[in-house]
Amino acid sequence: MTEVSGVAEPSADIGDILVSEDQIRQKVAELGERISVDYAGRPVILVSVLKGALPFMADLMRAMRIPVQIDLMEVSSYGGKSTESTGLVRILKDLSSSIAGKDVLIVEDIIDTGLTLNYLLRYLRGKNPNSIKICALLDKPARRLVEIKIDYLGFTIPDEFVVGYGLDYGEYYRNLPFIGVLRRELYETQ
Amino acid sequence: MIDQARFAHASEAELARILDYYGVEWEYEPRTFPILWNTEGKVIESFSPDFYLPELDLFVELTTLKQSLVRRKNRKLRRLRELYPDIRVKLFYGKDFRALMLKYGRFDLAASLSGLEGQITPLSLGQPKLALTVPAPEAGDADVVALTAMPLIAPVVTSMRSRPRVSRGSRRRRGRRAFLAAREA
Repeated sequence: MTEVSGVAEPSADIGDILVSEDQIRQKVAELGERISVDYAGRPVILVSVLKGALPFMADLMRAMRIPVQIDLMEVSSYGGKSTESTGLVRILKDLSSSIAGKDVLIVEDIIDTGLTLNYLLRYLRGKNPNSIKICALLDKPARRLVEIKIDYLGFTIPDEFVVGYGLDYGEYYRNLPFIGVLRRELYETQ
Repeated sequence: MIDQARFAHASEAELARILDYYGVEWEYEPRTFPILWNTEGKVIESFSPDFYLPELDLFVELTTLKQSLVRRKNRKLRRLRELYPDIRVKLFYGKDFRALMLKYGRFDLAASLSGLEGQITPLSLGQPKLALTVPAPEAGDADVVALTAMPLIAPVVTSMRSRPRVSRGSRRRRGRRAFLAAREA
């Protein structure tokens, strides 16, 4: 049996709920409708970045009324295990099929500095898609370093540590159905 | 490879490494902007932002000073923006940079800076500590979400709430410093 560090009720570690389950559901439906209208008549490939964007991607594609393909990518993060060896971002999981000539919609959970997404955009543009747009559930503009146009945005949030609906802390809390602020004492005194 | 000695502060070298990692071009202190002249036209104060990111046409100034000591830098930045309205400058405060370091798991650097904000990649933080109360989510419909929108179990201590009160003496001293700085300017 896997030890889960005694987590009896993960949601108990949340100080405030920033975005409720109902708000997420409503917003995802709204975004799905907008995207369906904008891409009417042409299929779109949703490219999600593991792991945080998975729940959003799963809900978003079911809220769309147009032909949809999905693909998944994973990239290393600064400070991760790969940092020392290469000093550069590594693609840990690449696209499984070509996007050349196709319309791509990147589905992200949260955008803060914009560095990862900026890298990803350059990488995907190099694969000659017909178009690339961005759909993000959360935007944390206080931390932005690279300005990136977000074509479809769910919520703008304050500069707080948030978890839930795919967002994690130590790989936990991703399963919470809402987005909440992690109680500060959980990481301040570590 | 980043030459640490080239930078005035370890945090600047770290930011350079982060930019390199994500393939963002940068130049270190490439330009000095005069911001104050004496009556003879001689430059008596200038400002050299730490980084310039050519692809983004953005200057980045990184300050690891305590928040209470940032006033002078803020004044210089205001002056810079007044005199050079076309340039884009982003100021990263100590707390912003510390949050960035926490996000990337650089706890050693983060610990040397003040403030605590933002997302963390808890590579070496161990397991989360836990509580047991079950929350009761409420519905709302704001797109720009405020922290105080939906109080749940315990209010999160914000930086404003946790900021120590400033004594009258401190306020007077700060006022005096501001007055002297203004007179110098």
